[in-house]
Amino acid sequence: MQTASQGVGELSEKAGYFPVPDAHLYTVLHQVTDPVARVLLVGPFASERHFSYRPWVRWARYLAARRIEVLRFDYRGVGESTGLFEDMSFDHWQEDVQTLTDWILTRSPKVPLMLHGLELGAILAARIFDSGLGDALLLWSAPANANQALRSSLVQWAGLGQLTESPENRRTATQYIGELEGGASIEVQGYQWTSRLWRDSFEVVLPDAVSPTNLSHWASTKRVRSVNLGKDAAPLVKPHLIYDEGKDLSWLYEQNFAWVEGVLTLVSGGNDARSY
Amino acid sequence: MLEVIETRELIELHDVEGIVRGTYHKTHAVTLDSQSNQSKEHRVGILFVNSMSPTRAANGDAAVYLADSFAERGYPSFRIDLPGFGDSDGDPAPDLHSFVNLGGYGAITSAKIGQLVARFNLTGVIIVGQCAGAVSAIHAAAASKECKGLVLMGPYFHLPQGKTPAKPREQVNPWYATGRFGKIWVSASTLHKKIRSFLHKNSPPQNANFALLRLWKQVASKGLPILVLSVPDRKASGVKGKAVEFDYLKYARELAGRKSRVVAKVADGANQSFSNRPGRESVRHHVELWLNACFPVKDQLQQKMSALQVGRSEVEHQRETREDYLYQ
Repeated sequence: MQTASQGVGELSEKAGYFPVPDAHLYTVLHQVTDPVARVLLVGPFASERHFSYRPWVRWARYLAARRIEVLRFDYRGVGESTGLFEDMSFDHWQEDVQTLTDWILTRSPKVPLMLHGLELGAILAARIFDSGLGDALLLWSAPANANQALRSSLVQWAGLGQLTESPENRRTATQYIGELEGGASIEVQGYQWTSRLWRDSFEVVLPDAVSPTNLSHWASTKRVRSVNLGKDAAPLVKPHLIYDEGKDLSWLYEQNFAWVEGVLTLVSGGNDARSY
Repeated sequence: MLEVIETRELIELHDVEGIVRGTYHKTHAVTLDSQSNQSKEHRVGILFVNSMSPTRAANGDAAVYLADSFAERGYPSFRIDLPGFGDSDGDPAPDLHSFVNLGGYGAITSAKIGQLVARFNLTGVIIVGQCAGAVSAIHAAAASKECKGLVLMGPYFHLPQGKTPAKPREQVNPWYATGRFGKIWVSASTLHKKIRSFLHKNSPPQNANFALLRLWKQVASKGLPILVLSVPDRKASGVKGKAVEFDYLKYARELAGRKSRVVAKVADGANQSFSNRPGRESVRHHVELWLNACFPVKDQLQQKMSALQVGRSEVEHQRETREDYLYQ
């Protein structure tokens, strides 16, 4: 597979709104001429978007510079997308991923499609892959279920509150969880978490076939890679107490791109990926 | 993919350095008129700039909420990612804090204001900045003739405390703490410090951002309308021994002089990033009243009555409070 770097001048990033029921998804397409593959980047849960944004964008640009067309987006009710966060559910966000996957598959020329999910996005991407769409799946810090993603955000948020809130306003993570389980809503990083969201999060699970403990099927085809990112990958993942805008994650990009190159060669049968 | 939807439009501002990307929140009037184009705005716009927050949506998407609200009230609103942030080109400066504190984003913000004014036929721009964004906003206001006002949320006028060299007495020997002459020396030194502190009690500390304070004086003293929003004092009720901090806001207001139009308010319920629900509600409330007082939209009352179905009592209340946001 040829993935020679593309000159920056040839790259274009096209931001747009993608219509979905009752909202518009904010999308950015990193267009390349003559792509060898396409990637749909499925980002983390709302509370993490803020921190992971720049390294996520840089990863998209890294791939685009290597002739891989990338689509990234904000979930309904989050970031630049429209809709009210508190009205949304995991079903909506799963539908967002499905809709955009379907759209990418209509693009020409036909080239392999990789789904790449981060944190909550790993579950949503994996579920699409498990349904038979996409040629490869890359998971970064995939939780076993969505509740794990929410819980870790909550723990971090409660910890921050111990430093910034007055004593009477401080809550522990356990207290927050108690409120959610008691039917109340809480606010985390500016987002209103409903008890419904919390309850549903237990049901949104990583498919068995791609869970790290059961990768035997996909491992044999070498089309799935699951990586648990450590704190050296912050602020892409927690802990991220500061916005480390300039942090160099090129080591992470290089490691994962090596796998991407390999898997794309595999799915294209060793030929140029365009013939796949 | 659409670049324009009913209430928003994605924008790109080009220059030789690259592309700055952003979102334009259309006013209700423009939204209503499907035939309208941007040149119909002809009113003051509102520009949100990044704090240290990585995206133009800001913490908890607070900037999206505020921009939507102001646009509904008749003020075209813009959120941009400065170079190195969000979706825009470029990488952040290696030492981003210092870069911001030294006004690294002042010139580029000023240039982008010029582009927005020309493209959307604005009469000028009000810059909204929070924390580090407030620093950039002051720098940009000093550089831009088209800046008509500032909204500063939690501005700071100091530089991070660098590692200071050890004081000579600490370098000598611990004898000073226990020896007879040492105790006399320490007492004299403490007395000297107290006298100096008394004589200069109204002077900012050594780590003040003096360059920023000079710019502040420059923009505030010429009468630029400025709204300063701060978070409520969250000092822990049980915490003791906290050093009294220098009141920069008080100092800045004195520095601004009698002709200044600086209004300071507390955003009740706000957390440090102004991103929580009560905080953003409070910010919206104060900014709207301030806008109404300083930059009234010609058809604002009608627009509010018809488009937002706001009751008469609120409009009257706004009239009453208008003066409170003009003079303090």
